[in-house]
Amino acid sequence: MENLEPGTLVTVITIIVAGISIVLGTVVPAIMEGLAAGKALDGIARQPDAAPQIRTTMIISMALLETTAIYVLLIVLVLLFFNPLLERFFGG
Amino acid sequence: MDIIEHPVLFYLLGIPISQTVVMTWILIVITVVIVLILRKVLPSLLETMLEFITGMVADVLDVDNLNPYLPLLGSLFIFILLSNMLSIVPGLKSPTSDINTTLALALVVLFSVQLYGIRQKGFWGYLKTFSDPIWLFPLEIVSQVSRTFSLTLRLFGNIMSGDLIVAIVFSIIPLIVPVAMMSLSLLTGVLQAYVFTILAALYIASAVEVNIEDEKMRKAGSNKIRNNRKEEKYGKS
Repeated sequence: MENLEPGTLVTVITIIVAGISIVLGTVVPAIMEGLAAGKALDGIARQPDAAPQIRTTMIISMALLETTAIYVLLIVLVLLFFNPLLERFFGG
Repeated sequence: MDIIEHPVLFYLLGIPISQTVVMTWILIVITVVIVLILRKVLPSLLETMLEFITGMVADVLDVDNLNPYLPLLGSLFIFILLSNMLSIVPGLKSPTSDINTTLALALVVLFSVQLYGIRQKGFWGYLKTFSDPIWLFPLEIVSQVSRTFSLTLRLFGNIMSGDLIVAIVFSIIPLIVPVAMMSLSLLTGVLQAYVFTILAALYIASAVEVNIEDEKMRKAGSNKIRNNRKEEKYGKS
């Protein structure tokens, strides 16, 4: 690990970190959105008359939950494709 | 890369005009042409659209008269909807895939929320709603700013990553698979337009709302409250 050039070391660490963060950042919002949809379906089953109201609220909540997943995706894309640290520090 | 960089195409009276601005002009022309054609051919479609937007906003914004708020919210919805769908056309790029556009839209929402609140309640009345407990005042300011950032990043992240994924898939398998990704990005485009407008309506509602129960209680005088409490304790006489 010591005789790697600094640019290569940063790239290797970036790839590992990007992999781990995209896994965490996708699985956790997906599980939570599934739970939210489950609760919404329970509510519709209990009171079918309120279905449009529940559906609207569920769509809004899903979009808000999706936001943090999008934040993680953005950071990972920047890390993988437009990594600014490589150019700034290592000229690579 | 064309996704992140914003190339300057030409200079107009000394102002650099970037690709995003040209795409916004094309979007304006397309919108005007569509509306002029629909007015002659199918005016009921325009009415349906207007009723859809009014119904969408009336769920959230619980005021007697929606007309002062409808131009802003309707324009936001139509602009974001059409501009998210613009990247389907070959050669065009969505203006909202540029963070400058989405930041501008979020700043419009930020300033209009404050203006609607001040117009409804007066300057000091509106400031008083920030300082219910006075030590929460910085938190309210921070929450206004963070709402703006989250609106910006939500719209920008969804649309730009949709475009980027289509570009990446296109560079791997150019034949049928990008169509699936493009239809997904159409769906998220419509959804993000809806969510942006609903959130803007929600923020305006929270700035404009007057707590009806408090007003009525205060106006009726405290006798009513006292009599109600006595009735609860001792029963009707």
